[in-house]
Amino acid sequence: MKQVGIISGKGGTGKTVLTASLATLAENAVFADCDVDASDLHLLLQPKVTTAEDFAGGEEAVIDPVLCTGCRECLDVCRFDALSMNEESVAIVDSYACEGCRTCSLVCPENAVSMQRKTAGQWFRSESSYGPMLHARLIPGEDNSGKLVTKVKNEAKSLAVEKNKDWILVDGPPGIGCPVLSALAELDYVIVITEPTPSGYHDLNRVAEVIKQFRIRAGVVINKHDLNPETASEIEALAGKLGFDMAGKIPFSRNVGEAIRQGVPYIKYAEDEVSRAILSVWETIQDFLFEERVGADTPANNINTKEQER
Amino acid sequence: MIICITSQEESIDAQADPRFGRCAYFVFYNTETEETEFVRNPNTEDAGGVGVKAGQFVIDKGAEVVISHKFGPNAENVLNTAGIEMKTHDGGTVRELIEAYRNNSL
Repeated sequence: MKQVGIISGKGGTGKTVLTASLATLAENAVFADCDVDASDLHLLLQPKVTTAEDFAGGEEAVIDPVLCTGCRECLDVCRFDALSMNEESVAIVDSYACEGCRTCSLVCPENAVSMQRKTAGQWFRSESSYGPMLHARLIPGEDNSGKLVTKVKNEAKSLAVEKNKDWILVDGPPGIGCPVLSALAELDYVIVITEPTPSGYHDLNRVAEVIKQFRIRAGVVINKHDLNPETASEIEALAGKLGFDMAGKIPFSRNVGEAIRQGVPYIKYAEDEVSRAILSVWETIQDFLFEERVGADTPANNINTKEQER
Repeated sequence: MIICITSQEESIDAQADPRFGRCAYFVFYNTETEETEFVRNPNTEDAGGVGVKAGQFVIDKGAEVVISHKFGPNAENVLNTAGIEMKTHDGGTVRELIEAYRNNSL
């Protein structure tokens, strides 16, 4: 069983569009949507939820109004301005602002503060036409976390082991924070999809440091590469410098937006340059996963050869 | 000297846990007495910061070497600062990894 993740550094570069299409190509696979802040893979794969369970997130401070003497010490130390005084001079917690750092519970002379876990949302086991899927939904105001990503991935993994699956596709979160680290752990290959813009370049460079830390083989996909060929070739050069594979280049097409509106994975929507480029990404990364790199052939040349054969 | 290995279950023949910060168990092995102690990772239920907490945890337990599949950037930072040696591996049981460490083949 191989675990392939799709991350981006920069958000909005086409992670889910690519993941949904790869989901239709990967045979005998399980899908995990770990971009829980803005989970949207279900919009394209349209799975039927079979199990839903509550998910406990981080802790929040809860103040016992009987014990609180209104000394304000907790207000002074809270770095998130989550505490205030009510009319009766009792400290109250703004649940949205509280980060659960426990500092107030350490300074309270009356031991009036206790820490309680809050329900952050639900996670789901679902069935799509392309295979089983794990995903989650957060309660508004709650954050994605390494814990939730780990939960979704572990559920995907046990399902994959139980059902003898060959692939786990992980739709990862953007950025380089805690949820991304959890999404990267245990991957066999990571696809970094970016776009030919200065922030696409910058965020690829930034996420590369995290990928290198985890020693995962990585391939870069440049989405909408033809909109800015100059930056696209700079990104290609950067990929080479980072020691990453060049896994593909997807051209711009207005049809992509239409396929999203209709809720269809692109490869099922049209047969054109875009769908061929996505297919080539899937074939290319399988070559990288199962074969050693061949001599002086750069990965980019391999892609060109593939396109000519077709 | 105490070495620490991350484990998926509470058994010396269990597979090592590939994760460091969110591993299920820490195994502390004393190279002189050859005794092992299994401790459940107290931080797996935390939303974030588990790499740092795991680093602090094994430092407090007196480990001088930590063996895991991979270390996240924050955990590595903590362990580096404390002068803890990090060894990586590509799978195996706790027993196999202890042997590998003793034979200098990690």
